[in-house]
Amino acid sequence: MGRPSRRLPLFTSLSEMGYDMGKYILKRFGYMVVVLLILSFLMFFVYSLIPFDRAVAEAEPYRKGLKTTENATELYLARIEELRKELGTDQNVLVRYLGWIGLGPINGKYNGILQGNLGYSYEYDRPAKEVLADPLKNTVFINIFATVLGLGITIPLGIFCAVHRGSKRDTAVQVGTIIGYSIPGFIIAIVFIWIFAIMLKWFPVSGMKTPGSSYTGLAELKDRLYYMALPLIVMTFSSLGGMTRYVRASMSEALSLDCIRTARAKGLAEKTVIYSHAFRNALIPIITLVIGWFVGIFSGSIVIENIFGLNGVGRIYILSLNSKDFEVVLLLQMFYVILGLLGNLIVDIAYGLADPRVRVNK
Amino acid sequence: MKRRKLLALLLASAMAMSMAACGNGGTPTESSDSSSQAESDEAPSSDEGSESAPPDEGSAAAGDGTYENKVIMGNTTDLTGDFRYPGWGTSSVGASDQDIGRLTIGYGTQEVAEDGNLVWNDTAVKSHTETENEDGTATFTVEINEGLTFSDGTPITAKNYLVRALAFSSPVAMEAGHPGMAGNAFIGFDEFHAYTGEEAEGTSKEFAGVRLLSDYSYSVTVSSDYYPYYFAYTYAGLDPYPMGLFLGEGVDIADDGNGAYLTGNFYEKDGDSFVKAKEIEENRYDLTKYPFSGPYVVSDWDASTKQATLTLNPEFKGNYEGQTPSIETIVYVKLIQETQLEELTSGGTDILGGVTGGKDTTAALAVVDGENFSEVHYQRAGYGKIQFDCDFGPTMFQEVRQAIAYLLNRTEFCQTLTGGYGVVVDGPYSPDLGPWKAVQDDVELIDYSFSPETAKALLEQGGWIYNSKGEDFVEGADGVDAVRYKKLTAEEANALDGANKTYASVSNTDGVTYETVEIGGEYYMPLAINWFGSTPNEVTDLISTTLANSSDLAAAGMVIRSTTGDFNKLLGEIYREPSYGYNGVPTYGMYNLATGFSALTNLDTSYQWSHDPAWFTNSSNKLYDPYDLDFPYDLKGEKLSYEAAVEASGDKLGMDYLSMAMVYNAATEDEFNQWYMGYVERWNELMPDIPLYSNYYYDVFNSKIENFHTSPFRGPAAALLYANVKGF
Repeated sequence: MGRPSRRLPLFTSLSEMGYDMGKYILKRFGYMVVVLLILSFLMFFVYSLIPFDRAVAEAEPYRKGLKTTENATELYLARIEELRKELGTDQNVLVRYLGWIGLGPINGKYNGILQGNLGYSYEYDRPAKEVLADPLKNTVFINIFATVLGLGITIPLGIFCAVHRGSKRDTAVQVGTIIGYSIPGFIIAIVFIWIFAIMLKWFPVSGMKTPGSSYTGLAELKDRLYYMALPLIVMTFSSLGGMTRYVRASMSEALSLDCIRTARAKGLAEKTVIYSHAFRNALIPIITLVIGWFVGIFSGSIVIENIFGLNGVGRIYILSLNSKDFEVVLLLQMFYVILGLLGNLIVDIAYGLADPRVRVNK
Repeated sequence: MKRRKLLALLLASAMAMSMAACGNGGTPTESSDSSSQAESDEAPSSDEGSESAPPDEGSAAAGDGTYENKVIMGNTTDLTGDFRYPGWGTSSVGASDQDIGRLTIGYGTQEVAEDGNLVWNDTAVKSHTETENEDGTATFTVEINEGLTFSDGTPITAKNYLVRALAFSSPVAMEAGHPGMAGNAFIGFDEFHAYTGEEAEGTSKEFAGVRLLSDYSYSVTVSSDYYPYYFAYTYAGLDPYPMGLFLGEGVDIADDGNGAYLTGNFYEKDGDSFVKAKEIEENRYDLTKYPFSGPYVVSDWDASTKQATLTLNPEFKGNYEGQTPSIETIVYVKLIQETQLEELTSGGTDILGGVTGGKDTTAALAVVDGENFSEVHYQRAGYGKIQFDCDFGPTMFQEVRQAIAYLLNRTEFCQTLTGGYGVVVDGPYSPDLGPWKAVQDDVELIDYSFSPETAKALLEQGGWIYNSKGEDFVEGADGVDAVRYKKLTAEEANALDGANKTYASVSNTDGVTYETVEIGGEYYMPLAINWFGSTPNEVTDLISTTLANSSDLAAAGMVIRSTTGDFNKLLGEIYREPSYGYNGVPTYGMYNLATGFSALTNLDTSYQWSHDPAWFTNSSNKLYDPYDLDFPYDLKGEKLSYEAAVEASGDKLGMDYLSMAMVYNAATEDEFNQWYMGYVERWNELMPDIPLYSNYYYDVFNSKIENFHTSPFRGPAAALLYANVKGF
């Protein structure tokens, strides 16, 4: 069956739109694989430059056990060589990279990412995916709330400010947001802990659940939210300034467009003008940011997680870097790369959905 | 419009799904509940399904003034769930995991007493004997008490004590990630260790040194390489574990008279891999399948929030003193260093353990009022130190190491660092250490009180009297002549493959490089010391300001060049390990780090001072005492008493001799202490390290806890066994 005939300039049938979109997405996926391979090699290469040999670390307990053995040195060195062979650290970086990906054998076995082996955490002595599973869940849990709260406040506030640009209320919000935008998140966190946890005692200082509790169902959710409240407030507060100003700027620009003037001249209701016409025009830059936020849901907040003792990926990331747990770090970074690439694709597709002028048609 | 609504709907659905997915569905992924194993009628009531609001945090006090029999124990170290066998045979063990291990693994035949000694546990051991065999080996026979049970009521037998030694001496354990050296002190280890399930030369399925004598008795035979040895009895110290935990299901221990062995399919292979290795590895983190032997059981472990709840094991009969716990529930929580004190005052934790350092201690003590919060403190079993490489560079010379000790005002250093909550020590000891206390009145140590004049005199005495031209050193000179030089003997110049001939300072931020110069065929080495300090580290910062950049150091004609970096790099330089960044050229002669004793067995430093390169992996200072050349230690030779050895050596016993004799000649505590005193004196003279501070640890706790007494070898976790909550 031949390709449907194209009618210029916009799509006129869903099938044609779907066909072109599918082709476009496939092409983008192809690019993504190439970028992913290049980035993964670069990351692997950079980490391989750091002077650290897992085999030596792994052989340390063996060395201690050999204390009074006559040929301790030879046995120790032999064990290191054996471990290097087992771990593949005796190979050059390319062979190790291929082994890590699963395209080449390490110690005679194909056991890399493609075979489902996402790496091993030597710090926790268990597969990297097991180490990351719980922190990832926690991070997503926290960030979903923070993002929804953030967007729920900033978008209406930004629109309000744009519509009432120059008013006292707008000025007040502008002052507030510039202050919020300028203060680093960790300062906000410390101040809020001091006010809400230490002085007012409204929230716990840190932690994720009531010590020793074994709540389930709604009680568990409530307990979790109680402990998450302060980190969430801090995260939301930290994000208010930037997003509000962004939405306001975007909306202000949209409100000055000729089409808006025309809409008003046509006698359309102000609500329709703002939400149906202006906001839609303001959406493109906002979409980039909003989707970026959602992608960021998975990346965690290193500062917040560390200050509040939350077991999230941001914290694991830092701990793994400090403890040279590179397979965990690499896995996380690969995950972020994939998220970034997917996020870009989603942004591009969302542009088309929000604004027909930028739809993909070839 | 419709499309936007669709988008909004999709977004809302995705959020709802994510929340549901992340809400853990009421049961944490790795949450476990083994309270049923405890069969306790005192198990805490379940809040499952409760829809009540979260309780006011920290309000342990009930309305009538009584308390819940529960203690929240906070620690800044992460829990990892590795409670069954913390560390898995390695020294890399998280402090919190180790605490939980201590509270859930009990009935060891030996336990660490409050003074750091490993003592026989009479609650578990009925009798024990030590027999010296004709071939130089020694057999320790242990009969355990009948009636001991795991938390599920299963009887504990001799097999449970042997399971770890057998399993973790096998190649199966090595495949499961364990070093596989658990029984290496016992005879027949090499053969058993090499056995893979098939008979071959040099292998044996039976472990000759480990014997299962009856249901309640076993013996272990220590090889002559490890005997006689002062701490040899500790080899008979074994803990009981459920068989399946370390062997997998379907494997038993048997003994036909030639040694214990593992039956069933323990060595079964799938291709090149042992089938049981995977099962053993999986058991490592499983907290539900097998019972516990200690005073507590892990009734809940929430990997998601890193919280562990321990509840009483009603089957537990006591520790080596017969002590059983009173506190019903202990909850372990993770704390953040910066806010831990606020957690204590707000009830987020009941105990803050191991507070140290001037600022933190002062802040912690500020909340202690006796009424709401109390404290207990003890001297740390260990000390912070400057460590030297003693086989090249200026630090290979005793007078240089001593001079540095005199140039650092350690009293002031300790005061600044610990805020007064610490003391200065002059040797390898901490003030509360038993052997030290036994000898402290008799030991004769050099007093390294701050004295730049003594430092100068020592340097001059040691031959550091030249400048870079081989002329007399002039104080106050500039450039490369700002430091003293020493004319090296041929032997000194050739030390460490001639490293001293090319010795040079690094990190020369002022543009001056000090290096060994050759004048008329003679080598002159500069008194420029390359120091590597880890960062971030306040000790590094303080050494930098109080020593490396001090005017007294410059006036003495010495320079310390500072390089800072990662701790692994520091270890790489100490152990000269290329894979840790060591570039093959010995560069640094000075480091700063700390050392500690977890038990008195840590005082054994044998093989650390040997001249034999075969033992190089044990040596961190690379110090070879010249006295040992004149009067070397012979392990197979006559075991001289301390007095006899002093006389035979002309009062010149070296570090190797003293450290070896301390554990291989001493048979009694008095003898051990005598050797230890000689060792401390020689150590203090040679100064392979400069001890800087031995700090105090403060445990601050909610006053609802009574009888909570910690000490250097009894940390907060062990102390909880003796403590109780008011009213219970």
